[in-house]
Amino acid sequence: MPKKSNKNQVLSVGQLLQHIEDRVESHIQITIKQFQNLPEEILLRPSATGGWSIAQCLEHLNSYGDFYLPEIAKALQNKNHLPSSKIFRSGWFGAYFIKMMEPGNGKKMKAFKAHIPPPDLSGAHVVARFLAQQEEMLGYLRKAPTVDLEKVRIPISISKLIKLKLGDVFQFCAAHDARHIAQAQRNLI
Amino acid sequence: MDLPSALQTFRSFTDQVKIFSDDDWHRLASQFALYPAGRKVTITPAGEAERYLYFVVEGVQRVFYFDDENREATLVFTYAPSFGGVIDSMVLGGPSKYSYETLTPSLFLRAPYRQIEMLRKEMPALDEMMQTGVMSALSGILERLAEIQCFTSEEKFRSLMGRSPHLLNLVPHKYLANYLGIDPTNFSKLVNRIRF
Repeated sequence: MPKKSNKNQVLSVGQLLQHIEDRVESHIQITIKQFQNLPEEILLRPSATGGWSIAQCLEHLNSYGDFYLPEIAKALQNKNHLPSSKIFRSGWFGAYFIKMMEPGNGKKMKAFKAHIPPPDLSGAHVVARFLAQQEEMLGYLRKAPTVDLEKVRIPISISKLIKLKLGDVFQFCAAHDARHIAQAQRNLI
Repeated sequence: MDLPSALQTFRSFTDQVKIFSDDDWHRLASQFALYPAGRKVTITPAGEAERYLYFVVEGVQRVFYFDDENREATLVFTYAPSFGGVIDSMVLGGPSKYSYETLTPSLFLRAPYRQIEMLRKEMPALDEMMQTGVMSALSGILERLAEIQCFTSEEKFRSLMGRSPHLLNLVPHKYLANYLGIDPTNFSKLVNRIRF
């Protein structure tokens, strides 16, 4: 397991991808065991404090997946940047966004308008879509060693001007997923 | 799980079908190696021959059909303890019409079928066990064919939950719905309506 550090992390590409794959696997298992078999009324019930329902938390993540998964698929086709290094260094922006997204950093954040989920959802459909996206992500993580995770970059969903290293995008998505899965789990307490 | 523990699980399984002499068992067990795979890994792709006999130690997998019109049919789930892989391609040879993939992180014991085939000729107990294994698989498939042709969605759902209720907590609903040949939305409604 890579060590947590406040500075930009330096990891082997293999370590990094395995770490992210382990996180995605754990998100899939939580979703299947804790959310998949719940009745609609529980999936759609707002949190005790009036916040997002479980379905809204997952739909929020789906809206990010809708943006990032096709971008990642496109990035993995990039034949101009074959892997050149066995280690991965996060970029400045990347490390900043990942740290900001990690659950338990104490900061409450407001979702961007394009990523605010409506309350009237089909809970079962949202869960199914989230699981399909996570399975898709596993496939991309396994293809990732074929490109340079530092040189291939992807714009972020809220601004085309900021581009993150592909390795940071993978970490960002996993950290963001962890944050909102933890939020969804709080609805079950 | 390490190799000796996995082989112990395998032996407990084979003991229920056929008791091997220690000598025979060691000859058989020495053909197998551990083979781990993460979630959603293709173990045997369609179009390739099945070259291995698998024994599932951990995890859930499926054999499925997929064609160029994007039609998909989940034919069978495998999970511990049982044999896995595409048996028809393995025994008859030739490219598999179906794929075998993991649906959860999995651990197998696997042996090259060529070696198993040679042992089968020399070891009547192994031959008997393989025949029983293939016949049990056939029996399961015939039972499922009857269900597919006659049962309502609810009856098919109840039958699956009777056999393998643990799958609900291990794999996404879409694979279970596809196996039963029903719409995923209807599947979720059945989960909500029928408590068991």
